[in-house]
Amino acid sequence: MSGLARAVAADVAARRRSAVEIAAESLDRIERANPDLNAFLEVSRDAALEEAKEVDRRVAAGEPLPLAGVPLAVKDNMWVAGRRVSCASRILEGFVPPGDATAVGRLRQAGAVFVGKTNLDEFAMGSSTENSAFQPTRNPWDLSRIPGGSSGGSAAAVAARLVPGALGSDTGGSIRQPGACSGVVGFKPSYGRVSRWGLVAFGSSLDQIGPLTRDVSDAARIYAVMAGADPLDSTCAARPVGDPEGALERGIEGMRIGFLAEGEVEGLDSRVAENLEACRQAFERAGARVSVVSVPRATAAIAIYYVVASAEASSNLARYDGVRYGARRSDGSVASLYVDTRTRGFGAEVKRRILLGTFALSSGYYEAYYGRAMRARRVLANDFERAFGAADVIVCPSIPAPAFRLGEKVDDPLQMYLSDIFTVPASLAGLPAISIPSGRTPEGLPLGLQIMAPRFGEETLFAAARAFEREIDFPSDPPPAARPYAT
Amino acid sequence: MASERRTVTLGIVRKVAQLSRLSLPEEELSRWTEQLGRIVSYIDQIEAIPESANGDAAEDAVSPTPVRNDEPRPGYGREALGRNAPRQFQGFGVVPRVVGAGGGE
Repeated sequence: MSGLARAVAADVAARRRSAVEIAAESLDRIERANPDLNAFLEVSRDAALEEAKEVDRRVAAGEPLPLAGVPLAVKDNMWVAGRRVSCASRILEGFVPPGDATAVGRLRQAGAVFVGKTNLDEFAMGSSTENSAFQPTRNPWDLSRIPGGSSGGSAAAVAARLVPGALGSDTGGSIRQPGACSGVVGFKPSYGRVSRWGLVAFGSSLDQIGPLTRDVSDAARIYAVMAGADPLDSTCAARPVGDPEGALERGIEGMRIGFLAEGEVEGLDSRVAENLEACRQAFERAGARVSVVSVPRATAAIAIYYVVASAEASSNLARYDGVRYGARRSDGSVASLYVDTRTRGFGAEVKRRILLGTFALSSGYYEAYYGRAMRARRVLANDFERAFGAADVIVCPSIPAPAFRLGEKVDDPLQMYLSDIFTVPASLAGLPAISIPSGRTPEGLPLGLQIMAPRFGEETLFAAARAFEREIDFPSDPPPAARPYAT
Repeated sequence: MASERRTVTLGIVRKVAQLSRLSLPEEELSRWTEQLGRIVSYIDQIEAIPESANGDAAEDAVSPTPVRNDEPRPGYGREALGRNAPRQFQGFGVVPRVVGAGGGE
């Protein structure tokens, strides 16, 4: 198969191939590749084949399905009815959700088939997928390197061509950063575009579900199916989604592309800087007007983010106490039940964020940290609003350096946090942002360009992303880990 | 209450761990303190950001939190939710005794 979601859906809809056949092929690839990659935490062969049979029945009945028979992987912090959700944490042991996440339910309705749940940093807290309580995921381009995180399992699964698409969640870059590290497209919608119902909460004012795919057009299709108001999530915006797929071929003649001045940080990897110049030329070839714009407070975004996201995480994760669901680690007093369950159930990074968030919210420090960070977040959002007066979209590298080696940053949390330096600003301002493969280093490691648009400006974003993708012409050869079976 | 910036100390980490319902072994406290101290000093750069000039400093950066109508609607039901409880008895979740068992803090 070509491996693209649109091609799979077209084949199944035209009954050239069956959904069952395609699901079986995807499942066989997963079985072969997963021992090397550790991309999946759970593979649901029987359930997926049953779902595929149902899709074939619906197609035969003449039902139009935009994702007919498309095998999708789902990051294991989202609900798929009847399948366990672990968040790659020991604290959620045995938890089986009572239904689908809204996004998952809409994809199911559109004909998608869910082949398995992918690995992540525990509770989506991390940039390398090394914080999983179960296994680190490996990058299909170089198995000694990280795939990015926290949606690293989803990124690796798409990059290795095990599935045409996967769902990730993005709080500070967790779709875009692994997309860039693994050489696939990663799209985070505007805050409020996709329902968070059934996405296990980390930072509620930041979290968004989005797709990881092999090209921009597949991302637009999966996004279009998932997006739109949901009565189960009051932060999900009641505004029309528009026509993301229709916007793809608009072109960017005359579009104002603003290169982020703060994107050229001191110490930027020289391979990333060289690639950025190639990206500038690609936009010019496509007829865009290129300039430099400034978002002055983007440089402080990591500092703001680690207060806001950690504060929200400490509050959201207070529910894991051994009483309502998940693991219970003690039968002593209520106090020891709480403490033992949490201490034994959470890994080091989750504890670090809970401690940091609790510190920022605690009496005596609240105003100096949380209050100040919330006001700084507003100032950053205002900076973006001003910058969008001079540019239709703003671009910068997705990652400051290509994927690093497993273990390289595990003992230095601050260095790990700085991996997200380019993705966090859009998260804080609630903007839609996409990472597109933009080239490879001489060693063959993927690089990515990030495009950001004004809030709810997804159509403009997709037009720019598709035009860039066409110009940059990222090589389509599969990564080494996929070569034994990829076509 | 007045708010202040301070170096992260062992005492602060102990207190925050207690508030977080986490137990940190004494031998690991200095490592936690050092790591959190480095992160907090990095975060201190937000002090240099001027407050918003146009009076909207307190406004939510993304959008005000929307509130839905307070109307009943069907849920998953007690049985479905109870299936995930670590321990149940006759349809109720079982927790350690809270009153009169010395379980408080």
